[in-house]
Amino acid sequence: MTPRPQDDTQNDAIDVTADIPANPPQRALRLHRELDEVWRDLPGWRGFFTSVNHSTIGKRFMATAFVFFAIGGVLAMMIRAQLATRDGAFLDTELYNQIFTMHGSIMMFLFAIPMLEGLALWLLPKILGTRDMAYPRLSALGYFCYLFGGIVIVLSLLFGVAPNGGWFMYVPLTDKTYSPGINADVWLLGVTFVEISAMAAAIEITVTILRCRAAHMPLTRMPLMGWYLLGTAVMMLVGFPPLILGSILLEVQRAFDWPFFDVARGGSPLLWQHLFWLFGHPEVYIIFLPAAGALSTIIPILSRTTILGYGALVAAVIGLVFLSFGLWVHHMFTVGIPHMALSFFSAASALVAVPTAVQVFAWIGTMWEGRVQFRLPMLYIMGFFATFVMGGLTGVMLAMVPFNWQAHDTHFVVAHLHYVLIGGFVFPMLAAIAYWMPLICGRWRVRGLGEAAFWMIFIGFHGTFFIMHLTGLLGMRRRIAVYPENAEWEWLNLVSSGFGMVQAAGFALFAFDVVMQWMFGRRSWRNPWQAPTLEWAMPLPAPSYNFASLPGPRQPDAGALLALARGEGLLAGAPRGWRETLAVEPGSGKPQHVAVLATNTALPVATAAAIGSFFGLMLAGLYWLAPLGIIATMVVVWRWGALMGTERDHPPVQVAPDMALPLHWQVRTTLGQTGTMVLLVADATLYGSLLFGVGFLTVVAPGWPPPDSGVGTGWMLLLALAALALMAAGAIAARLAESRRAQAGGRVWTRIGLVLAGLALVMLVGLGWGLDDPTRHARDALRGAILGFAVVHGVIVLMLALRSHVDARRGRIGLERRGAVPAWQLFQVFWLGTTAASLAVVVAQEVLA
Amino acid sequence: MIWLARALAGPMLWGALFSAVYALHGAGCNLGWIDVRLGPADLHHAAMWAVWAAGLAVHVLLVRTMPAGQGRQRKIITAASWIGLVASAFTLFPVIATSTCF
Amino acid sequence: MSPLPKSCLYKPAALLAVPLLAACDGPLSTLTPAGPAAVQIARLWWAMLIGSGLITLLVMAMLWRALRHQSHDHPGPAAERRWIIGWGLGFSLTVLTVLLGFGLWIGERMIVRNDATPLVEARAGRWAWEFVQPGPGGAPVTTQGILYVPAGQPFDVAITSFDVIHSFWVPRLGGKMDAIPGHRNVHRLMAAEPGIYEGLCAEFCGLGHSFMNFRVIAYDPAGPLPAFTDAPEGRP
Repeated sequence: MTPRPQDDTQNDAIDVTADIPANPPQRALRLHRELDEVWRDLPGWRGFFTSVNHSTIGKRFMATAFVFFAIGGVLAMMIRAQLATRDGAFLDTELYNQIFTMHGSIMMFLFAIPMLEGLALWLLPKILGTRDMAYPRLSALGYFCYLFGGIVIVLSLLFGVAPNGGWFMYVPLTDKTYSPGINADVWLLGVTFVEISAMAAAIEITVTILRCRAAHMPLTRMPLMGWYLLGTAVMMLVGFPPLILGSILLEVQRAFDWPFFDVARGGSPLLWQHLFWLFGHPEVYIIFLPAAGALSTIIPILSRTTILGYGALVAAVIGLVFLSFGLWVHHMFTVGIPHMALSFFSAASALVAVPTAVQVFAWIGTMWEGRVQFRLPMLYIMGFFATFVMGGLTGVMLAMVPFNWQAHDTHFVVAHLHYVLIGGFVFPMLAAIAYWMPLICGRWRVRGLGEAAFWMIFIGFHGTFFIMHLTGLLGMRRRIAVYPENAEWEWLNLVSSGFGMVQAAGFALFAFDVVMQWMFGRRSWRNPWQAPTLEWAMPLPAPSYNFASLPGPRQPDAGALLALARGEGLLAGAPRGWRETLAVEPGSGKPQHVAVLATNTALPVATAAAIGSFFGLMLAGLYWLAPLGIIATMVVVWRWGALMGTERDHPPVQVAPDMALPLHWQVRTTLGQTGTMVLLVADATLYGSLLFGVGFLTVVAPGWPPPDSGVGTGWMLLLALAALALMAAGAIAARLAESRRAQAGGRVWTRIGLVLAGLALVMLVGLGWGLDDPTRHARDALRGAILGFAVVHGVIVLMLALRSHVDARRGRIGLERRGAVPAWQLFQVFWLGTTAASLAVVVAQEVLA
Repeated sequence: MIWLARALAGPMLWGALFSAVYALHGAGCNLGWIDVRLGPADLHHAAMWAVWAAGLAVHVLLVRTMPAGQGRQRKIITAASWIGLVASAFTLFPVIATSTCF
Repeated sequence: MSPLPKSCLYKPAALLAVPLLAACDGPLSTLTPAGPAAVQIARLWWAMLIGSGLITLLVMAMLWRALRHQSHDHPGPAAERRWIIGWGLGFSLTVLTVLLGFGLWIGERMIVRNDATPLVEARAGRWAWEFVQPGPGGAPVTTQGILYVPAGQPFDVAITSFDVIHSFWVPRLGGKMDAIPGHRNVHRLMAAEPGIYEGLCAEFCGLGHSFMNFRVIAYDPAGPLPAFTDAPEGRP
């Protein structure tokens, strides 16, 4: 039968007109045992180090994030204790500086981001109707990077060497001159280590949403949470690279004296601010979007209706994703930027309130059009509205340039940001936890505790922060430890501190409530909220494999629970003993192939340890030993490639009675291929940020251009051109290695490609000898950084070419199988493109100078 | 998936335009374009006005040509194209309203 | 600029919005403005506070109604028009456009221009301020911790830093401006009446940040010149 045109007025997530016949029913218990055997974690401590299952990793992320939230909360209470009186003698200034820096850094990097990653990892496959994330090992790698990095950061506080330059780490305060200790290095290296988990999550969330949905779930009907998390992930891909680049540059300045931010040698402290806020403002929306996704999911269900304005909400997400990258300068309104430039950012900061308003009114409208059931999650949602609306309005106030000049760096901003982050993230997350707890633990909550926790948090929060607006307007700036001459702030601070303790007790009660529910709650019945979404089409608590058979047009919603458990959906059971799931076409959701996912392995924790060894050696100042960490990482990463290939062709897999699909080894558009492209988007942003640095310093920094050093440029140009020619030839070799893969002589192209990559890399390293001393001037430091970027990518290309070559020799490449060759091609072209652009920039600099 | 690219065209153009005008503003102040007379205005303003106006024209073109398909797909493309147009108009109108380089 | 009240402007509005605001006075209060820039910003603040209060009440009323309203329909196109186009786009864009226009207009009137406004220098270093201002006969005088300016006329402050980033802020006179090494920012302020105005460093600058204060003494230009003394130990 031919599918009818989509009728988008329907609210099913799956296009029920695309008929896929049902599989014959089987005994649900037998299927469960078969699947659980394949999908479950190893028992005990081995399970902790080897699990890759998204439910396990997601829960672990959330639990760990909550522990860091508690630590950050204790620090907040210490800040409040210190500020409660004007001559607070509770902490000395050095310790106070460490504590407020750590409070901000922990809440942002070790609580908010990991919390949303955890929710996404845990929820996404369930709500999209699939069995796991696209890259289970990457989930686990991200978790261990987060855990190890987080532990180092927190330990630094115990040893009294925690970062003390404020969570935005402005240079020159954080450079070697003014922060000679290890404190700033802990932040730069620790946070960057943790951000590996953010990048990993961003990549796999993107790929999972685009490629791992239920059969025939078009993008236009995907549950809104999918759109919100897609927006979040894309923002993380583009938002985090500027911070990562900034951290690398600052650490290189601290370690090797390359003067990117040193005004005396052509750098500028403003470059740090731009890079930091280029990340820092989108970060706020990265945190808000998943919370808004949870609201868009929960509100219609608890209002017994459908969401109002699905299309408008998707458009609002698109608007937020873009606009939030045009606001960063509103954190820099007082640095001396001309009024017109400020006005652009002021206008953008005001405009970004429009998509937010669209969402708020869509949610209110949904409740208006439905019948609201006032259950516990709804209570937290009311907390969200009351708090977030005010936070949004003070945000609009701060977008106004003149008002910002007064309020900037005062407690008004502290109040505003807590209204936005606790209102816009924490309250929705508490609602989400209350809503999804039955699916997490299979139990119903203990009556009364949740309500009590809500009221304590709500009253405590507003008591703490509402009057803090006034404290700020009365002139109290951020980050002061005492205020002996300002008695008029004392009662305000005392009130804030008192309510702060109430709020902290409320959060403790919430945690207690969750533990009680987990341990003593009564068993929940299935689908307790009568939701249509697919995450409820499974037994409670969610099994390791999520769905015994995957949802398709005949199992479009939570009502198909029994049919799915009996194996009537697609790809029933685990007959081959593999973790299998469906990969679909991104737009329509048409099934394309069967992806075999990784099973329990200690490879991720080993990789995280190897990466950690590099960061640890850098932190210890053993810079010349640090390459050992990189080599260790390369050795471990090499092992990851094993899943990319297979030595023989496998027959297609019978997914449904009339539908046989190939396994992922035998298709070109694998999940890995999509993921490589997504990774390159982030990589290109990193590169773009570097070019922004070049442009910015050239225009803004004093002391440009540097005196001509007279180092020979002619032979360097020739060398660079030769390297580019080799890279281009390598790209051709990589293409031929694929197109001739089935022929007898095809294997030779992988070898040629390998040699070409090696030669090009040698030439790049040769260019390094000709550069001016990078410690001389920021221009030379930037050239060093650009060359370093090319060399790093050369090493990656070399490894991929080598992998392809080994694959070819082992027979993993054949008519149906391509091994690592497609990934190699992508990186080769990226290497060529960025290096060519770099050469053009350097030549332009020379010509213009 | 092509439809998503159609939807993103408008917002992406906003991103490019916003960056271009911001960069022009910075470069122009630095290179002293404000002192170069050009008809009724100076080179600095003229350059920003020209880029802004050209960008808005392309935005209008996108709003008219991008929407395709039906149902939600079309709705989302239309809305996103408008988001691009409104964003470019709203965030860059200061080029005609505020003073530059101070 | 008309003579300025010492207490809060628009007191009735303040009392209407939040009873707490009876106490807006303070040596560092932005709500006790003493110069045109601070006055205009305070005015903007009160306007925004009233608007925000009304919007908050409106949204809360809508929520209250939404909770009690019982409907069995799924939202249709009419509801979408009302909530998305009407409230989400129409209402918010209107409010924001008006506010932005107001904000830019005020900002335009505050910025530094190339005119003959007298210039003083503020140099920040951990953790004290050094000022250079025209003294007797117009000759520059360097002082520590106290800036002397004539009242009733605008002055520009050229702000620089010896070390890390600081920020020059006299809350009762106007907004703040950062002191950034390698950059020279110029900031226009004015004290309407002679008096003593407290100033401080607003950007976190390390251990001494809490104490990096200074004082602006606005003297009557018609009267005798002050003595241009330093603050005791460089600090007020």
